[in-house]
Amino acid sequence: MSSERPKLGPDIPKAITGWNSRTGRVIYLTADRNWSESLSEACVMTGDEAQEALRFASTDQVRVSDPYFMQVTQDGLISGRETLRETIRARGPTNHPMFGKQGGDL
Amino acid sequence: MYRYDEFDEGLVRQRARQFRGQVERRLAGELPEEHFKPLRLQNGVYLQLHAYMLRVAIPYGQLDGAKLRGLAEIADRYDKRYGHFTTRQNIQFNWIRLEDMPEVLDRLADFGMHAIQTSGNCIRNVTSDPFAGAGADEVEDPRPWCEIIRQWSTFHPEFSHLPRKFKIAVSGGGHDRAAIRVHDIGLDLKRNSEGEIGFEVICGGGLGRTPHVGVTVREWISKPDLLSYLEAIMRVYNRHGRRDNKYKARIKILVNELGEAGFRKLVEEEFAAQHESEKVVLPQTEINRIEAYFAPPVFDAALPTSEIFDAARKTDKSLDRWARHNVRPHKIPGYASILVSLKPLGAPPGDATSDQMRAIADIADRYAGGDIRVAHEQDLVLTHVRLDDVPSVFAALQAAGLATANGGLITDIIACPGLDYCNLANARSISVANSIQEAFSDPNLEDLIGRLHLNISGCINACGHHHVGHIGILGVDKKGEEFYQVLFGGRADERAAIGEIAGPGLRHEDIAPALKRVVERYLVLRSSPEETFIDTLERLGQAPFREALYGAS
Repeated sequence: MSSERPKLGPDIPKAITGWNSRTGRVIYLTADRNWSESLSEACVMTGDEAQEALRFASTDQVRVSDPYFMQVTQDGLISGRETLRETIRARGPTNHPMFGKQGGDL
Repeated sequence: MYRYDEFDEGLVRQRARQFRGQVERRLAGELPEEHFKPLRLQNGVYLQLHAYMLRVAIPYGQLDGAKLRGLAEIADRYDKRYGHFTTRQNIQFNWIRLEDMPEVLDRLADFGMHAIQTSGNCIRNVTSDPFAGAGADEVEDPRPWCEIIRQWSTFHPEFSHLPRKFKIAVSGGGHDRAAIRVHDIGLDLKRNSEGEIGFEVICGGGLGRTPHVGVTVREWISKPDLLSYLEAIMRVYNRHGRRDNKYKARIKILVNELGEAGFRKLVEEEFAAQHESEKVVLPQTEINRIEAYFAPPVFDAALPTSEIFDAARKTDKSLDRWARHNVRPHKIPGYASILVSLKPLGAPPGDATSDQMRAIADIADRYAGGDIRVAHEQDLVLTHVRLDDVPSVFAALQAAGLATANGGLITDIIACPGLDYCNLANARSISVANSIQEAFSDPNLEDLIGRLHLNISGCINACGHHHVGHIGILGVDKKGEEFYQVLFGGRADERAAIGEIAGPGLRHEDIAPALKRVVERYLVLRSSPEETFIDTLERLGQAPFREALYGAS
């Protein structure tokens, strides 16, 4: 069983997220094609630029596992129908404020 | 309990070494995730929302003090000082780094544990009755048979690449506390007309997106023939089970498509066609060898009642209430089994901290012969406790925050980790469970309601067994918003039934008030205080409860 994410149209602003292959931590692709654990450093993209970045991410397997598009606003805030899921990924479980990045666990 | 011999230990260590190499190749970029994923899954390693998750096998839910302390050590050294007990009697760690996994598997092997058969399309960890060997109603202890099936199925070359995962549960007869009718194969120890003990074989049960209650394919099979008969079923499934669509690949779909009679015919033909030389006929000496590991402890010649316990109940109301819900009868007079609830108000159902694990290990070693079980309800069981010792056990559990008096009650909720942790979930489960616990936190109200099983899943994969809760709750995603469907009338026992969806989903914040109305309606409608929720529901049907759920007068 695998998790399938909704398809996003080319004009929808998006970031690329995945998991640090070594630690499993949630990470985001930055403008300089590095990976950051901070959503605020995620690169916001659309169209061909986004597709090209996802191709790059998919080959960067030593650093990232299972990269995919997540919907964001132009300002890089989480949006769309997976807002709750991505907020939980970005912050941590809602039942435990000390777990995940919300607890300073970077 | 069963102790690993040199063969078992060699196998587990070999697998740990093999996985170490696979992880090294993955992290060096020599193994792409696509190829690594099935390998990590075969070792119980999932990639969840926040981190890698390791599922550790607890064969048929049996632990001892040393193993539980070992798990506590894993929680302390590699995770966040807690573990999550699952509906398949395993334990999951939610925050382990991939680079630490090889060391964790090595450490698990040190105390005779592993993650084999916890994932992948193989025969999974066999589950059983957490009261096995203690229940007064059982025909025979099912654990030796769980262990025999474990040894037969582990790395079985013919059944390592099945169409889908495969789950077997074994019950000792009597009341079904292992949910055997909603497993791919359920085995129930029973006597035939000559009084000989063998197995009823039930097949094709399961939950998930296509729930089914299993059907009896064989009324009775003898012990020596059990493995051959299981092989016949597995071969039919391997040959005819669908591999083109993972949603239709479980054996329940095959049984449903062929029909009960058609499936049985194929199995019986396969069983009859087995050549004598290929049959796995268990010699009695081997059965005896395995059974010896599960010999009952030496019980004291205790009185059937305990003055110490009775006197303590009279003076301590909290002990008395806890005893009513969490102390269960034992087949030996003067003894009891104790359900240790992992469902305190406001905590994730099934979680235990490492300190609590050590406390339970100490209590088990001192008062219960070191025998600890994991229940599919995500609670723990201390199997053999002298009635005289129950007050001391209660005090020790209280000190560890483990004396929640809600065994079998509405706040003893089964819940999957849901969207807070799981990569497949559509909605949160833990927060819904906690809101329901809060709504029913008045002990007097809980006592008034009595036995009511409430199960919650955060998606259709049904790890929280929502289909078989008296009340089931399924989290769904509706255009990006969490909604929760309510099901009525499920049950996981010998009268197993799949609950029916009551109607449209409710919002997160509306679930607890809606269930409050349902329960209030039950309290009005029941024929007597002894009539449980499920009995009233079965007598009256869904309608009055559906009305209450949606707020109709």
